[in-house]
Amino acid sequence: MKALFKRSIPFTSWLMVGIGWLGLSCPALAALGGDLTSVDADRAHLKASSLEVRPAEAYEVHPIQAPGGTIISEYVSSTGRVFAVSWHGPFIPEMQQILGSYFQQYSAALGAKRPYGRRPLNIQEPGLVVQTGGHMGAYFGRAYLPEMLPPSLKADEIK
Amino acid sequence: MRKKLCVLTLLGSLGFAVGCGSSGSTPSGIPGGGGSTANVLSIAVDGGPTASAIYPNGAFATVTICAPGSSSNCAKVDHLLVDTGSVGVRVLQSAVSSLNLPAVNANNGSAAWECVSFVDGSLLWGPVQAATVTMAGETASNVPIQVVASSSSNLPPSCSGVDENTVALLGANGILGVGLEPVDCPACDPSQTSTPIAPAYYSCSSLPCTSQFMNDSNQVTNPVVAFATDNNGVIVELPAVSSSAATVTGSLVFGIGTESNNQLPSSANFFNTCGDLFNTIFKGETFGVNPTSCTGPGSFIDSGSNALFFPNVSNAITVCPTNTPVGDLSAFYCPASAQSLSATNQDPINPSFESTVNFTVGNAQNLFTGASTASNAAFGTLAGPVPAASGFDWGLPFFYGRNVYTGIDLPNVQTPFWAYY
Repeated sequence: MKALFKRSIPFTSWLMVGIGWLGLSCPALAALGGDLTSVDADRAHLKASSLEVRPAEAYEVHPIQAPGGTIISEYVSSTGRVFAVSWHGPFIPEMQQILGSYFQQYSAALGAKRPYGRRPLNIQEPGLVVQTGGHMGAYFGRAYLPEMLPPSLKADEIK
Repeated sequence: MRKKLCVLTLLGSLGFAVGCGSSGSTPSGIPGGGGSTANVLSIAVDGGPTASAIYPNGAFATVTICAPGSSSNCAKVDHLLVDTGSVGVRVLQSAVSSLNLPAVNANNGSAAWECVSFVDGSLLWGPVQAATVTMAGETASNVPIQVVASSSSNLPPSCSGVDENTVALLGANGILGVGLEPVDCPACDPSQTSTPIAPAYYSCSSLPCTSQFMNDSNQVTNPVVAFATDNNGVIVELPAVSSSAATVTGSLVFGIGTESNNQLPSSANFFNTCGDLFNTIFKGETFGVNPTSCTGPGSFIDSGSNALFFPNVSNAITVCPTNTPVGDLSAFYCPASAQSLSATNQDPINPSFESTVNFTVGNAQNLFTGASTASNAAFGTLAGPVPAASGFDWGLPFFYGRNVYTGIDLPNVQTPFWAYY
């Protein structure tokens, strides 16, 4: 009788991801959790172009568009910290770039034991939420730091 | 590119609307059939190929992969996931390594590699190679496929995630992508971008691998469009599954309106797509595509999603816990009692056409752990949450008890569509 789950991702798989992460040729200033300069770092690393900044009460949205059309929006608090990142478009962005120092926590959560299947992510970690949806050619995702959301912003408004 | 697709779709919809009304038309201009009766490939929701773990709601098929031009240098590969939500054949290296398939080059003239990332944070990485793919009596000769490398040692930094390069990780021997498009990365063609896109196609002639342009004609290809006939789409036919079943079997039928066994009845629900998306109205909210830009959020039909995934409007449905005997189930819903719900699908080009779908949301943890259901592979009521901005994903439970048509985007022939009854 088969059990209804797969084993956790073997450590060696994560070792490979880790090697890739350490070997990143352009060490990123953190995006999520970083400051305003990380928006520019992401834009440069992803060869993206800036779109118009959208000011809101208590925060600003800094969108950039990567080659291929995916729009990545970084939400910056009044104190200058990136507390949320969203993306939508034909390609999933480079997660280690946009998650910055939260990439390891995200990676560890991905490795948790769960049933097989192609499905969206709903990672609810202490201090970090990552949720995705879509399919090949049309993806959506967001990552945010729940404790840093301004009271005026609901999670579903991060899009 | 998206805009162009939408214009094509608009033109197509006009053609359909004039002759056929708002629903159930067989698109005109489809290449004629050749009288073949071998256009039916068996599929099975059987839990997948791994002995240790069930793949819930995975529909699998067996295909034959040969070196181009050979009828003897072949491998029969079972348990490819039938995926109407992606494009192209992707197969683990271990299943085809003996064939020594020839490389397909990127535009810089060196062997192309591809990184495909999936919504679940996983990726497939490996070289693009040419193969002849036979399914039932239909053959796609000399098409580019992705061979998933067993080593991820040359994975470029822009390709990040879990490399599912073994049967144990992927839960399948590969993916049979038979979605709405003829190739997997139209935006990678140099006519569409001034900068090579990442993550997509790479050259690894020197490390680290670098992003490359890739002409449409060399991209990993929807094998259906390479058939000599019955090449304009597929129908997935599966029996009804009320709550759960040990296994179910069905058919992947090739061609739409090309044979006596693949006609689109006039009573079918027919939806044009825009940016390969349509609209779903649920609890008064429209999860729809922008009809001008054809950009999302939008909704879609996808046999490769193993549940219905939809926004948890007003947080009305309890989400499963992360810590259960079968692992992290936070991708699924766990209502205390089954929820009977309905949503309305809408044509984004011709919004006067709508059709209501009734569905049930069960408790995933109970389904996966219950004494009478834990060893089952098919779950008709499996569902889970997504952010509102990602739309409604009609995964495999939607296919149970329906015939679902995926009409491929074929310029000057047919605009992409879904239909079902």
